Formats: sequence, structure tokens, C-alpha cells
Amino acid sequence: MTRRSAAVSFEDVMATTEFRPAPAAHITVDGDACRGCTTRACVTACPARLFVPIADGGILFNYEQCFECGGCYLVCNEKGAISWSYPEGGAGVVYRRG
Amino acid sequence: MRPLVAVCWKAVELRAGVDPLTGEIRPDPRSLGVSPADEAALEWALRAAEGTGAAVRVVSAGGPEADGVLRQAAAAGAAELVRVAIEPGSPSCEVARALAPHVAGAGLVWCGDVSLDRGSGAVPAFLAAELGVAQALGLLEVDLGAGAGGFSGLRRLDGGRRERLRVEGPAVASCEGGTARLRRASLHLMLEARRAPVRIEAAPPPRRPAPHVVGRAPFRPRARVVPPPPGEHAADRVRALIGAEAPAGRARVVTLGPEEAAEAILEALAAWGELP
Amino acid sequence: MAERFDAVVVGAGPAGSMAALQLARAGRSVCLLERGPFPGSKNLYGGVVYARVLDGILPRWAEEAPLERFVTRRVTMVLTATQSLAVDFRSSAWGEAPYNGATALRPEFDAWLAAQAEAEGAVLVCSTTATGLLVDASGAVVGVRTDRPGGEIGAGVVVACDGVNALLAKEAGLAEAPDPSHYTLGVKQVLRLPEAEIERRFGLAPGEGADFEILGGTGEVPGGGFLYTNRDTLSVGVVLSLDGLSRSAVRPEEVLAGLTAHPAIAPLVDGGEVVEFGAHLIPEAGLEMMPRLAGDGILVAGDAAGMCLAAGIWLEGVNFAMASGSAAGEAAAEALVAGDTTRRGLAGYEARLSSGFVLADHRRLRHAPGLVLSERVQRRYPEMVCNLVEELFTVRNPAPKPGVVQMARRAARRSGVGLGDLLRDGWRAWRTFG
Repeated sequence: MTRRSAAVSFEDVMATTEFRPAPAAHITVDGDACRGCTTRACVTACPARLFVPIADGGILFNYEQCFECGGCYLVCNEKGAISWSYPEGGAGVVYRRG
Repeated sequence: MRPLVAVCWKAVELRAGVDPLTGEIRPDPRSLGVSPADEAALEWALRAAEGTGAAVRVVSAGGPEADGVLRQAAAAGAAELVRVAIEPGSPSCEVARALAPHVAGAGLVWCGDVSLDRGSGAVPAFLAAELGVAQALGLLEVDLGAGAGGFSGLRRLDGGRRERLRVEGPAVASCEGGTARLRRASLHLMLEARRAPVRIEAAPPPRRPAPHVVGRAPFRPRARVVPPPPGEHAADRVRALIGAEAPAGRARVVTLGPEEAAEAILEALAAWGELP
Repeated sequence: MAERFDAVVVGAGPAGSMAALQLARAGRSVCLLERGPFPGSKNLYGGVVYARVLDGILPRWAEEAPLERFVTRRVTMVLTATQSLAVDFRSSAWGEAPYNGATALRPEFDAWLAAQAEAEGAVLVCSTTATGLLVDASGAVVGVRTDRPGGEIGAGVVVACDGVNALLAKEAGLAEAPDPSHYTLGVKQVLRLPEAEIERRFGLAPGEGADFEILGGTGEVPGGGFLYTNRDTLSVGVVLSLDGLSRSAVRPEEVLAGLTAHPAIAPLVDGGEVVEFGAHLIPEAGLEMMPRLAGDGILVAGDAAGMCLAAGIWLEGVNFAMASGSAAGEAAAEALVAGDTTRRGLAGYEARLSSGFVLADHRRLRHAPGLVLSERVQRRYPEMVCNLVEELFTVRNPAPKPGVVQMARRAARRSGVGLGDLLRDGWRAWRTFG
């Protein structure tokens, strides 16, 4: 029966957590800095898979399903490529069992 | 007397947990709020009131848990909060009858087009009937213009058609959530709203015995339309559909306990590529 | 400035609510700001609260707080890819007053604690993010700016309990630029199982809970795992070195999936329905990362001040947050009475922390995080110990049993551990934990 837990996709797991999207993004990514980045730590470290590399060498990002942990800007080694703050009050992730 | 703009709100759980096996709903009072459509209705009322100097009254039919939700309306700028104590699950016509006396006299009554808890969206129409005023329901666009009291709006009709309305005078309007975003409450009003009084009114006794539910069937999604399989004759297509052409040996009879049987079915389905 | 309070507390987590409670008890007007729609909605942790710090402040906490289960079984586990070794300790004394740890869900526990502060008179304002500090000409903090229209709040003292990212402490110049090696990332899944099934599976009486702390089991990424029993859910997660995570090509949820698939863990979580997934940073470095705790008009407490104890066998945070918040509230109230809210006037805060467990524990265990996340403790020692135990209990008939010393030597050699390493780390551990 372990197969049942393994069969749950990442999207389904993410869907169990409530997010109230803010009208504006609280993350911004400087695409030019990303094109010069070789490590791309944000892509693997983000627990919500918000950062996706794209063909032109930049990084595509989402903010709607952000856990607001802050890991991305801490691991980013292109100084200042990710600017990050908290979303508007009342918006963002809402844990029920955190 | 100061002119009045009324708003009807319904406090609902914004995110209900549903047990995937039993379909049982797990309530969570912390997720109480109103739909984006109800928020948009308040925003239109506030904008309309700004133009005319009217007071905004927000009325909700429900239990005491709705009071906190009503105070959110006060934080956004509503002047009066009224809650009509009504049995949960009352039919739309009774909800409208309970709300009507408390929104009567308002130039405009704004509602969200449909609540998030699978509401029928019928309360605004019943309300217009109770009040004997015009109705403009399911608005996609609202333009308050410069006029005092009226507005024009675009409305959805069946079959994807649209109708543009000009409303003057008393009316019940219901709008969709995308028409406006509720303003962010100022800090001062947030602090004031904590103590905002909610007037509690009794609901009138039901006019006639409410229709009662005799039976209830589980939610059934609509059948999916699957393109017909290729085949020159109807008989071929039917054979393909019912799997009679499937390679021999696919069918298998097993005698197992319930758990093992379920496992075996899952395994077989996975092997046939029927599972995602 | 339209709004004014004696004090503003930013963040209604355990630190903030305790600070607001103490300020309100001292008769001060206090505004408690929370950016989530309700207190606790942004907060996520492993799962155990040690609430004895509340004994003198909210003596009825054990009956009133929304706790899930009192921990009476504590399992400390070492995992390698295929082996596991556990110390399984039970104490029925922990299930009775004065209690030890209890599992709790933060959105419920934090909301309860904030309600206690409100009951004392604190003004809780939710859905409002503090975006910055108001500073006067001399550089002293005189309030906060929020993201609402007309959102400036003037205050004699600002208590920054704004969590691990410590944005306000950084703005006030109290904290240095962050070093990613000071943080770990906690990733957690909550799995639903029937209450009776949890009690059966973990061998618990109703109301009693189990706490599994796991060393290893996180693959290439240094870290550890945890598994806690709530009333009708399990909290299972991993704590990963942020540095290690960004160096590896492994994603956090893959590490977690690896842990839940481990033969020692899988049967415990089997069949659980995922009901929530989340992640949060943990300030791991203790004293190494602690900012200056006070500035003119501002105090820093809780995670924002790095007050989280992640020292291998001890994983505590909420108790440090509550104690530091409480001390900050008392010190702020004292400073307001004295009319001196400069850094000097607020010095009572650090004095309180120094005389209590908060700074004492952090000072004693200041080298623990480095030791626990070191490669040897993470990878080689678990392997060595598991191999040794495997050797010990593998019956190789007809070959005779080798001597234990010989087995230990062989296990150490197989895991690449030298005698020098053992002595050095043993000495470090003795100095740290002894």
C-alpha cells in the first residue's frame, strides 16, 4: 500500500496547502543576473518548485504558491538577483497544521 | 435621512476540507469569509456611496460566526452591520424574505452573484421580488458613471450572449467577483472595526413549509464525451468500445479477500496503462 | 501619525504574543501585529512544544492550550540507507503534570497564545504586514510602518518578533547580512490517519504521543528527520542544511520522499492521506547568528533573534521564543515606566535572558550545530554504528564470533573513521554537551 502515497503527485501535495494569492508579487528576479549564474541554487532549494530555468538562460518564477520561507534569497549567490519581502498582509500561505 | 446603499453578504468557509473517501466535510471556522463576488459587491456599494454621500449597510443572514466576517466590512468602510439570525441551510426564498426588511429603502442593494458554497445564486432575484424593485443580476462589468444612484452594467445571458443595462432608481444588483477588488482597509478602520456593533435581528417565521429534502444523491460529475473508436460498421465500433477485441488473456478471474482484490485490480489497471 | 501605542509587537507567534501579554499585564497599551489572516497561519515547525516556561505566566496551559498529545515516547533514531538503530524511551511520568513536551499544531497553539494576550488587553491586528521601522532624527526607533493606508503606528518600544527572516532587525542595523550556512530548511508533510490507528501503530494510550528524532536518512544532504504524532495526523519531515541543499541536485521533497520510503519509517506513515505540505527556515546557528538584542526603541526576540535550539538530540524553539518574548515584554514595560527606552534603558532584556535558560543553553551548546551537521556525524558515524550493530547480531555460523573490539575496528574502517577522528569528535561532544 506504500504505492498509494508514492502515487500522489507534487501538484496534488501542493494543492493540500492553502494559498491566498496577493495582487502583487513579493519576489522579483533579475533575469540578467540569472543568465550569468551557473549554480542556480534557487531551482533546487525552493521547496515549492517556484523557480524554473528557461531556454534563454533566465529564470521563470511563481510567487502564488510561495511558503514564504526565504530560502531562495539566502542561497542565491548572484548578489541581489532575488529580492524578496513578505506578501501583503492577509495574503500568501495559510497553514492549518503547521 | 441619509441615503442608504445596502450590501448582502454570506459568510462561507472559503476552503472546506473534504474527506476523499466519505465525502464528509470537515468544518474549519478559521476559514470563514466571503466570496470575491461578495467583496466586489461591497466595493461597488462603497464607490456608489462615495458619489452620493450615502451610508453603506451590510446585512448577512446567518449565525453568530458571521459577526467577525461582518466586521471585515466595517473595516473596509461600511457604516452599519446587521445580522439576521436564521437557521443555517434555509432556502433562498426564506433568506431573501429575512433580508428584505433590512435592505428596504436602500437606493441600491448589491450582492455577489453566487456564494462559494455551491449556492444557487437565487437570493438576489428573490430579494428583488420581495422588495418589488428592478434587478440586474450576474453583472460582468459595472460603470457607476457620474450619475447619482444609477449605474450601467453588462450582464451574462444564456448561450454566451450579453446584455447591457442602464439601471436608475431602486434595484438589486449582483456582480461577479472579477468586477472589482475590495479596497484594503485602512489601519485606523481596522482598529475601529474590532469594536463595531452588529445589530442582530430576528428572522420572520417561515411563510410556508419549506421544501424539504427527501433524498440526496452523491455528486456525480457529468459524463465525459469520448470520441468514437474507428471502425467501419457500428458493430465493430461497439466491439472496440466494450473491449471484446482485447487480446485474449486480459480478463482474469481471481478469488481474493477485499484488500488483496483491490490490490489486484489496481495492479491490473496499472499494467493495462489505465492509471495515470 | 494617527495611531499610537505604548508598544508595538510585530508578529503574533509565541515570542510576540508573550511580549504583548507581558506588556498588557503591566498596564501598557500594546498593538500586536500579525501578517497572516490569523495568528499561527504563517508558522510551521516540527511538532513539539515544551511549555513549562508558561507555568508561572499561564498556569493552566496544560488544560487550556490546544495540545494534540503529550509526548510519552521519545525515539532517537540513526538511519543509513538500509539500516536503522533506535533508542526508544518511554516515560509515563511525561503524560502527567507537570508534563514535558506536547505535540501541537502552530495555527492552533499560536492563535490560543495570542488570544491570551488579547484577553489581557493587547490589540491584535491581523492581515497586516509591518513593512519598515519609523526612525526619529537621532536614529531611535519610534514605531512601524504597515502595508495599510494610514498605516503608521507610533510606539515607545517596538518588539520585533517577525520571525526567522528578521527583516526589522536587519533594517535597524542590529543583524548582520545573513549567512546561508546558519540556516536549515524544514520541510514537512502532515498525514491523516485515524486516531485509534495512530495509537495502535505507535503503541500509545489515548492522549499520549510519540516523538521520533532521526539522524541521517537525508541522503546526500546533511540534516535530519522527524516524525511526531498529533491527535489524528502525523507530522513527518526533514531538516536540511540550506548550503548542502543548494550544492546538491536533490530537491527537498525528494529527500522527504526518501525518508518516508525508508524501511524503518514507511510502515509508520503507510496509508496516511497528505493533508498539508509546507516549509520554513530554521535559525540553526544559535549564538553564532544572534543579532544585537536591543537598539534604541527596539528589542528582538524569538526566531528573529536566532533563539532556536537545534543541537542534535535537543530540538527546541517555541519555548525559547516564549521565554525571550516574555522577557522582552517585561523589559519593555519596565523601560516605559522608567521613561528610558534607549538601548541602555532596555538592557533589562538581555539581563533576563542571561539569568534564565535562553542564553545559558545557547552559550553551553554554541558548538553543537557545527558538530551535528559535520560530515562525520551526518554520514560516517551512523554508518559505523549501524555496521557495528549489524556485525554484532549477524550469526556467521559455522564461522566463530569475532571479538567486539575487532568488530568495532572493522566497522570504523569500513566507514572511513579513524581513531583520531573519534577522539577529536568525542572531545568536542564532551565539551559541547558535557
